[in-house]
Amino acid sequence: MPSDTNAIVENKLHWSSIIIDSLKRLNPWVLKSNVVMFITELTFFIVLLMAIDPTLIPIVSSGREQMFYSEVALILIITVWFSTLSDSIAEAQIRNTASSLRKMKEQMTAKRLLSSNRSNFETVHSDDLRKGDLILVDHGDKVPIDSEVLEGIAMVDESLLTGESANVRKSVGSTLLGGSLVTTDSLVARVSTNPDETYVSKLIGIVESSSRPKTPNEIALTILIAGFSAIFTIIVVSLLFLGVELRLGIDLAVVIALYVCLLPTTIGALLPAIGISGINRMSVKRIIAKSGKAIEASGDTDALLLDKTGTITKGMRKAVRFVPSGNHTEREVGEAALLSSWEDDTPEGKSIVELAYNLGFVPHQFGSIERSEFEEFSAATRRSSVKMTDTHEFLLPKGGRGILQRKRLRRKFASGDEPQQELEIVKGAPDAIIDYVKIKPPGYDETLEKISEDGATVMAVAEVGDVIGFIKLKDEVKPGVREKIKALKEMDIEVVMVTGDQPTTAGFISKDVGIDDYIAKARPETKYEFVKEEQKRGKIVSMIGDGTNDAPALSAADVGLAMASGTEPAKEAANMVDLESNPSKIMDVIMLGKQILMTRGTVTTFSIANDIAKYFVIVPIMFAALPELGALNLMHLTPHLAVISALIFNAIIIPALIPLALRGNTFKPSSTMKIFLKNVTIYGLGGIVLPFIGIKLIAILITVLRVTI
Amino acid sequence: MGALEVQPVGVIMLSIEDLFVVAVVWGVVIVFSWFFSKYLFTVFTGGKSRLDKFFKPIENFIYTLSGIESTKNMGWKEYFKALFYLNVAQTVIALFILMFQANLPLNPMHYQGMSWSLAFNTVLSFSSNTNLQHYNGETTLSYLSQMSAIQFLQFTSAATGLAAGVAILRGFAGKARTIGNFYFDYVRSLTRVLLPLTFITTLVLIALGIPQSLGGYTLIPTLQKDAYEILYRGPIASLVSIMQLGTNGGGYFGANSAYPLQNPSQVTDFLELGMMMFIPTATLFMFGRMVGDNREGRTLFLAAYAIYGIDLIIAFLPKVHTGRGLEVGYGGAASVFWTVTTTAFTTGSVNASLAAFNPVVIFTGFIGMLIQGAPGGEGIGAMYLIMYVIVTIFLVGLMAGRTPEYLGIKIEGRDVKLAVMAFLTHPIIILVPTVLAFAIGAEKAAGLTTNSIGFTQIFYEFTSSAANNGSDFLGASGNTIFFNVTTGIVMWLGRYLPMLFMLAIADSVAVRKRTPSQGLKTGNISFVVILVVSIFILTVLTFFPFLVLGPILQFLEGFKTSFGGVIFAL
Repeated sequence: MPSDTNAIVENKLHWSSIIIDSLKRLNPWVLKSNVVMFITELTFFIVLLMAIDPTLIPIVSSGREQMFYSEVALILIITVWFSTLSDSIAEAQIRNTASSLRKMKEQMTAKRLLSSNRSNFETVHSDDLRKGDLILVDHGDKVPIDSEVLEGIAMVDESLLTGESANVRKSVGSTLLGGSLVTTDSLVARVSTNPDETYVSKLIGIVESSSRPKTPNEIALTILIAGFSAIFTIIVVSLLFLGVELRLGIDLAVVIALYVCLLPTTIGALLPAIGISGINRMSVKRIIAKSGKAIEASGDTDALLLDKTGTITKGMRKAVRFVPSGNHTEREVGEAALLSSWEDDTPEGKSIVELAYNLGFVPHQFGSIERSEFEEFSAATRRSSVKMTDTHEFLLPKGGRGILQRKRLRRKFASGDEPQQELEIVKGAPDAIIDYVKIKPPGYDETLEKISEDGATVMAVAEVGDVIGFIKLKDEVKPGVREKIKALKEMDIEVVMVTGDQPTTAGFISKDVGIDDYIAKARPETKYEFVKEEQKRGKIVSMIGDGTNDAPALSAADVGLAMASGTEPAKEAANMVDLESNPSKIMDVIMLGKQILMTRGTVTTFSIANDIAKYFVIVPIMFAALPELGALNLMHLTPHLAVISALIFNAIIIPALIPLALRGNTFKPSSTMKIFLKNVTIYGLGGIVLPFIGIKLIAILITVLRVTI
Repeated sequence: MGALEVQPVGVIMLSIEDLFVVAVVWGVVIVFSWFFSKYLFTVFTGGKSRLDKFFKPIENFIYTLSGIESTKNMGWKEYFKALFYLNVAQTVIALFILMFQANLPLNPMHYQGMSWSLAFNTVLSFSSNTNLQHYNGETTLSYLSQMSAIQFLQFTSAATGLAAGVAILRGFAGKARTIGNFYFDYVRSLTRVLLPLTFITTLVLIALGIPQSLGGYTLIPTLQKDAYEILYRGPIASLVSIMQLGTNGGGYFGANSAYPLQNPSQVTDFLELGMMMFIPTATLFMFGRMVGDNREGRTLFLAAYAIYGIDLIIAFLPKVHTGRGLEVGYGGAASVFWTVTTTAFTTGSVNASLAAFNPVVIFTGFIGMLIQGAPGGEGIGAMYLIMYVIVTIFLVGLMAGRTPEYLGIKIEGRDVKLAVMAFLTHPIIILVPTVLAFAIGAEKAAGLTTNSIGFTQIFYEFTSSAANNGSDFLGASGNTIFFNVTTGIVMWLGRYLPMLFMLAIADSVAVRKRTPSQGLKTGNISFVVILVVSIFILTVLTFFPFLVLGPILQFLEGFKTSFGGVIFAL
């Protein structure tokens, strides 16, 4: 393993150590787990023996051919070496990735209270917290670890963990999830679990470990390869016997050359590397798969369950429009909203200011904002307000102000006994505002419904006891999500969105990003029920999750991707963990899974398809006593040239395909059948044709270079 | 069967007329079997039928008499055990009849009992649906043997094959969630399919002039003075019916359907041809009905007939003389058509001597037998097609970026293992005894030469045995202890091992979860093309060097040498 001290060197591959490692792997004892390569090495020893002393193997070898035998032996051992080389490169890559993963392990700080006084705390690393510690979580802080609220009420954004976009109100006794964000107020909480320091390291350890259990498809493929090897063994042994019995004039080295050419050496050599590099590519994306099986299953995904918040949308609401109520104007609403949000540091508040500013709704009394009194949003009242004590500016209406506004201002000052020196603007959840102003204006509910029907969230704005309008806020769709969902659908994957939102909101968002199916008003157990239901219908289900609530669903799902920022139970239950905590990456995981399966398939098909040409090259020259077979010699090669060219082609195709094995097949998302037919044409048909050309070219090259063989 | 010693030199060329004949036979068979598949589907899914009133009591009588429970679903082991033990019992009975026919009734010709090795070979041959014959029936077997050993096994082996095939198809179709009950499938194969069909075709064949009699052989005078010919009468029409309908292929006569009493005219020739194609074709269509998607049956049908069609085209290609011995009674084209068909459907009956064919025709015969699923024998052909589908899907299916699926079933390691074992059985049981035969010089004992012709004949002998086809070059000259014993063993291994492996797969996939929207769609033409190419590649990869040493070398040698090393000038 590379040391932690030298970061730059780690990111490059040590070619010298890779080559040494690949040579060590030539040890037959190490090689015996790879049947095809083991057999190939065995044949190398036989031919080597023939090269040293042809008389050791009588009848089927000739004393004049020692040079030829040496050449065959050399190519055979190089073939095996190419295979071990691909393993070594893949292993070196994954070690590099693992060590870089170790470095990016997320660091989180926590405020540990030293006494019951809230100002008396020390900042510590979240891994240093212990169960029972008291922590302070201010607004804007991330909850460092699962804990229980002891003091205070606050709104907490758990959207990344539970998928519910609405903030959750937490009060004494509530459970705080590690990774959630406190958006208002501050809380004192007691840590309820010990941090598992080694968890991520343990996961990285899995990535690095060289003892990876074979995945189901790898097992099946290994059986298929073993089956083909068995068939070719029977054929070659039978041919050898028949050649001797019928006196057909065969040479063992040629028979062995045919054998090795027929053996699925290409897939045999590259199969381990394909699997390792798949895990590596996953790790490069900062996703740690606990098993290769999960990666494979992700390629098989039939149904994908996506959380709305955090996965499809950014989980951040932005103001998009001001909607006046009654006889107020949009400008009035905008100006009031701007004033009320000026001191609001939440993303929503900022977006309101930004929108109002962009629309040019800057109130005149802006100058007196310094003298205003701002009351922050609190979970208890679910509203925020601004009180302006000096509102003289309001009395000087200027051009652009409508008659209605003047009327309103006049009305404001006409009513009441005291001179109205104060202007109070309150904004917040529509029902909270009604609670505050006590009177519900006519048509309030209808307007509200109309604004929110496209999935938007609405805030009401009231000025001195009068609802003047609404702010429409919308969650933004993450960039690139629409394209990814389109690609998934093209690959016949059923995408389902799950959200705690109302059906109208959910319906709008899902339609917007192109998802056909959604589950609204999701309860904590909804995901689990969905997974079970789909699996009952024979589907492979993938999902993401990180809340403790998700753990049952994650463990039931065929592919469960947990966020590193999520709770421990979720991470334990999932079979993959994303260290960057970006739930949208589940879609990349599916693509990667498909890519690995595809790469295995293409190399296998290519490997078998190659055999036809090799038959036509070697069989016609195999039987010295049967010159009539020359008619089958489509390539017109002399015996030695044919054998050497075919063997060289067989060996060289391995390093030629190493980049493909390590990088994976590139493919455009389209229907499974289309991808399949395209690959069949390229690798199946290509696999039949290419060796004819390749072997002929090698033979021409040898002839041109006048190498005597 | 034995070589027929007729001497004219025929010319095989593909003419419009021949194409027309092929098209008519294909058309009639395909249309009839499409409708018949509906009936087969009802029979094997236990659907209600108007014929129940007639058949139910008979079947219930059989079940009660033998104390069989015909409704209990079986696992693959249980199914295979029932099938195998029943076959063993039937084989033993037939063995005794053949060996002791001299002491049994219905032997007006007073034939002696068979030698142990010949009887051993014959019963293994007929019970495995192979019908390799190392004897000439008309001069060896009594009426009792022809009926209660030969025809009996022809019925039971066809029913066994059909039952196993149906069970495997049922498992893959998955609707029943089981492979079913052997006795149910076996009894119904007999009572509702084979017996009624045989009854009908026997009557037709009798009407067309084939004898059905126990009256003994008689001498009839010929035009030549004082020269008499034996008229071999016997229960021939019924035997021909079941031999063709059950893809058995073992004839009453050593010369098989080249003998006029077994195949008197061109009409009977085409009728018999159609009979052997009928049930295997209908079985493929029935699979589509079982799956609930006719396209799946169509895929197997198209793939099988595409291979069969390619075989026919190759066989018709050479416009060269065929050499001696070709039976021209039905025309060169009809003989080639029959030979390709009898190997494609692994029936093994012949209407002309194989020894006289152009090596290219023999090559296509090899292809049919090596593939065994083009469309293959009774029930078993469909089984092999499924095996190819599994291997093909696993070989290329990963390229779709999903775990390979067939009918929504994910193909697992165990399925691949069993399918590969079923596939491996064939090369092992063909190549090992072929090598063995030359190692001990068995070819000389049978009067064969150690050249490409001798090699072709021995390779053909074991290929035909392994594929449960039964056509051969050796005929009665194969009656040596070596060939009787080795081919006997090969026939049984080739019959029961793949059946066992495929039943095991079918049983496990029957209850496996299925993805409703499978990634790889198999019900379309692109998959048919891939399947056909894959089957050819798998077969060629396995047997290419041996085909080269046999028929291909013979062809390249210019077809100069012939039997016994005599150079035959063109």
